[in-house]
Amino acid sequence: MDIKHLAGNSDFSRRHFLEQTARTSLGVSLTTTFGSALSGQLRAEEAKTPEGGGSAKSLIYIYCSGGMTHLDTFDPKENKEVMGDTKVINGSVDGMRFGSQLEGIAKNADKFAVVNSMSSRNGAHAQARYQMMTGYNQRATIVHPHIGPFAEKYFGKRGDLLPDSVVINRGTSNSGYLDPAMSPLPVANPESGIANASLTTTEERFSKRMEMSLDIGQNFIDKYKHYTSPKGYVEFYDQASRLLRSEELKVFDLSEVEEREKYGMNSLGQGCLLARRLVENGVRVIEVHSGGWDMHNDVVGSCETRLPPFDQALSSLVEDLESLGLLESTMVVVSSDFGRTSRINDRAGRDHQPAVFSTVFAGGGIKGGQVYGSSDNEGRRVADKAVSVEDFHATIGYGLGIDLEHAIYSPSGRPFVFGNHGKPVTSLFG
Amino acid sequence: MNSTHRFVAFVLPVAAFLLFPSHLDARTWTSTDGKKLDAIFESFDGETIQMKLKNGRSVKFPVSRLVKEDKEAAERFSLVGDDAMTVFSAKKIDYLLATNLAKNGIRSFNERLPDDLFVRRVYLDIIGRIPTREEFLKFAESARKDKRAMLVDELLASSGRSSHLFNYFADMYRLKGSGVARELDYAPYLEWWRDSLEENVSYNEMVREMVTATGNIGHNPAIGFLERDEGMEFDAFSNFGQVMMGIDVSCAQCHDHPFEDWTMNDFYQMAAFFGQTQRSTGRYAAAGSEKSVSVGIPNAPKDWASNFKKYAAKNGVDMKDRRQSRTFNYYLGALGLNVADNEAIEIRIPKTIDDLGGQVVTPATLYGEDAAGSSMTRREALAEWLTNSTNERFAVNIANRMWERAFGKALVEPVIDFPMDWEKQTGQPEVLKFLGQEMARVNFDLREFMRILYYTQAYQGYSTYDRAIDEGDHYLFQGPVLRRMRAEQAWDSLLTLAYGSEIDSIYGGDGSFLRELMNVNFEEDSMEEVFEKFKAYKSVRNVGSKILVDTGSLDAKDPEIPQVAGIPMLRSSRIAQPASASSLLSSFGQSDRMVTDNHTYDGTVPQVLALMNGPVTDRLTGGESKIVEDLEEFDGPDDKVRGVFFTMLSRYPTETELKKGLAILEDYGDDGIRDLAWVLLNTPEFLFVQ
Repeated sequence: MDIKHLAGNSDFSRRHFLEQTARTSLGVSLTTTFGSALSGQLRAEEAKTPEGGGSAKSLIYIYCSGGMTHLDTFDPKENKEVMGDTKVINGSVDGMRFGSQLEGIAKNADKFAVVNSMSSRNGAHAQARYQMMTGYNQRATIVHPHIGPFAEKYFGKRGDLLPDSVVINRGTSNSGYLDPAMSPLPVANPESGIANASLTTTEERFSKRMEMSLDIGQNFIDKYKHYTSPKGYVEFYDQASRLLRSEELKVFDLSEVEEREKYGMNSLGQGCLLARRLVENGVRVIEVHSGGWDMHNDVVGSCETRLPPFDQALSSLVEDLESLGLLESTMVVVSSDFGRTSRINDRAGRDHQPAVFSTVFAGGGIKGGQVYGSSDNEGRRVADKAVSVEDFHATIGYGLGIDLEHAIYSPSGRPFVFGNHGKPVTSLFG
Repeated sequence: MNSTHRFVAFVLPVAAFLLFPSHLDARTWTSTDGKKLDAIFESFDGETIQMKLKNGRSVKFPVSRLVKEDKEAAERFSLVGDDAMTVFSAKKIDYLLATNLAKNGIRSFNERLPDDLFVRRVYLDIIGRIPTREEFLKFAESARKDKRAMLVDELLASSGRSSHLFNYFADMYRLKGSGVARELDYAPYLEWWRDSLEENVSYNEMVREMVTATGNIGHNPAIGFLERDEGMEFDAFSNFGQVMMGIDVSCAQCHDHPFEDWTMNDFYQMAAFFGQTQRSTGRYAAAGSEKSVSVGIPNAPKDWASNFKKYAAKNGVDMKDRRQSRTFNYYLGALGLNVADNEAIEIRIPKTIDDLGGQVVTPATLYGEDAAGSSMTRREALAEWLTNSTNERFAVNIANRMWERAFGKALVEPVIDFPMDWEKQTGQPEVLKFLGQEMARVNFDLREFMRILYYTQAYQGYSTYDRAIDEGDHYLFQGPVLRRMRAEQAWDSLLTLAYGSEIDSIYGGDGSFLRELMNVNFEEDSMEEVFEKFKAYKSVRNVGSKILVDTGSLDAKDPEIPQVAGIPMLRSSRIAQPASASSLLSSFGQSDRMVTDNHTYDGTVPQVLALMNGPVTDRLTGGESKIVEDLEEFDGPDDKVRGVFFTMLSRYPTETELKKGLAILEDYGDDGIRDLAWVLLNTPEFLFVQ
């Protein structure tokens, strides 16, 4: 590839250039050649940023695993039989109503856009979750990437030492059909940070070991110098050792953070706090997973456990993002496997209901204080303006500034677009 | 060319090849009454000759009825025993490769590997772990000239072979025993793979068993293959195509194939061989009508499940209790892992497809001969067509994969979708053709086939590590290519360092008792018998499926099986498939088994962090570990340093390396052995198969 030619391209600023050449960070493969990294970037530049979108530089995707009840949270009904013992409160914006456990969110209603007409065809957890995370239905012949790796492929790598995407409260991640180096960094527990990032011996002894292994390893590297793979390992060791001593690693250390109790001392609260810190440090996509939403039994009791921490974490997050001046450039999204039935079952719980449920947006160009679409009086079916899972993803892509027509290709040459041809809900933005 | 200096050692093996009789080729045999028969010699016991006909069938023929010339040929051929056949085949491969190299101006294979590197490589390639110091010394002490071949034979005969081969097939066939809702219930299928490979069941037989399997998973675990993509019949078919035919037809599910001459209709016709395969309870397209038909548990009488439910309710299972009813339904689900041939159902093209949508399709093969057989089920006909000796592609497909395992690169790529005109798309058409013939000749005995490959001179040379591989259109295989260890090789090697070669023989029990619990004959077993099995199944579930699947045994808490960070220290083939996401295996790129061949070889920072600070490294360099204990007994620091190098890298240190090692021991005393072990573990040299 002709570097001079590229440097002459006016869009190709020196900063871009440095960002690309510095592909030296967590999870970045050096087997990805310089050339292909550049061509990814150029392809993205040919693509068009959707008009009106693109304010979101980062995304925090809060995922309520198990299926959040829409009726007891964002889409409460008048009908007593549907609501059971759940109370309803008004939000700070006229016409916005919430389950009574969501006090903080109700107070901040002007920041949130609620979609009450989400609809999916997947009623089983794994399949539903897969589609909500990737925008595609699960197949047995290909694995689709989550939003983070797709965005990295589209925009190119952003950070130096920090990864482009992080998954919190999950021990695993993958990049789908994309380069494994684009896999989001998993942080299984926000309280303990990156796995294996604490030394098992003294700093001094570790340094000695590291120095010696680089030294002894050099012969092998020299011998196979035309192979990228062994050389790549030297780079990974270099990055890992730098990371272990870096300021960036401290981003993951929540132990000294003053406002940590404000978010709630639980995995969701601390996950949201870590997500905010990662956004402050330029990470593009952060998934925060929250478990325990599969409320087949005792929906009221389960909500009492689940909703206050959720309310606390989410309202603290958007409040802090706003006061840090980051809300305009950070999209916060809440979604779930599906909604739950309006019929309360004989165990006082609610069962799976993909036909209609709620998702929530804030920041990143979203106009808060609005409700989009509606379900029928009992919250069973979409009454108005159905939003499919594809549309939901397209809306996120629109916010991030991804050209929804722009195809990226799997290694076998299959083309994929962000959001699987869904239509973005542009009226959420303003 | 950067490694020109290496091209010095191997003499082209042409002469040796010519000395061998060509009994691998079909010859025309003439009987005393003048009849002629084309067949390949197989064996001769002094009275009867066994020969293989063109259609793949073996026939016996009394030698007394052959003309004199043919009698002599039989005697000559019979002198060539199994070993000689293997040597001969290996030499023929070398000959074919060398001829091609010579044509391209390359005079020989890469330089022959020295013994130490050879031993390390065959241990890693055949049994999936590095050798222990003792194993290496045993080899070094042998004075036999043929000791390399002996070692290959010994390793192929050991259980390490099947363990490592299991890892390969687990990736290829997407074997998954964890993280699926029915993790427990798939255990018999994984056990079927382990057993079949251990017993060296021929590969075509395994394929036949999987394609034609019926019954429930307890009765016939091979149905696991058909159940793997239950509810996704077209994806299941695509996966079948990728692994068993080397054809990726998934694109033709929605549009005509872009490269080959296939239409969507061809795809659905081939898929229709599975059209009467009932994989589960549910709705299927009905045969002979536009409607769909609802079917119950395959192979079970229609009301069996409801009767059994009533029986269970009467006998103490509280169906209103969520936990109890769930466990009961799990058990029904396990019995529903059941495959039947059902003529009442059909395959229909999905409605979403324009023009063709909704049509019922009749089976037809994608290429080659028709699959016919009026007395056979569709799947039996398919299996017969697939594994028949006239289907060259079937043999070439698995041969190409075994070659890739040995040489780090396939002869024709990609292995899941190699072109129909592969002979034009490989630099080595003669080699691949010969490998296909050899696969058929050894009757799909993978152990014997691997022996041929590991006997070649081409395999025994240094790895190629210059740009010849990336730049050229076709790599000429002057040697294997340099590759990083698979995740499983890294894991098993670390365990070898920490625990020694005993890890080969610790299995953690087997899952056969579990299989019995799911082995139900709906016609013959009484409700009482099945209910007893259910109760046992329930108690297994209550103990925790995780423990069971991790070790195949309820005795997992047995102190004999050490655990580190919650993962049993057993060989990668014996623990959860795939291993947990937080494990070293996962960070090294072990396949998640979602799609075929999903293992990765890339480095990542989390992986490197795991090697630096992870629990397995800590187990090796921090606590009691075999390498540390062994080396502490060595006299003098020099020997200790040499010992660490030798054990970890199968070579001695250079003078400078020795000095550096001694300096560490000076600082930390014997404890420095741990530092040295850490240092060598964290060099790329440890992770690569040279």
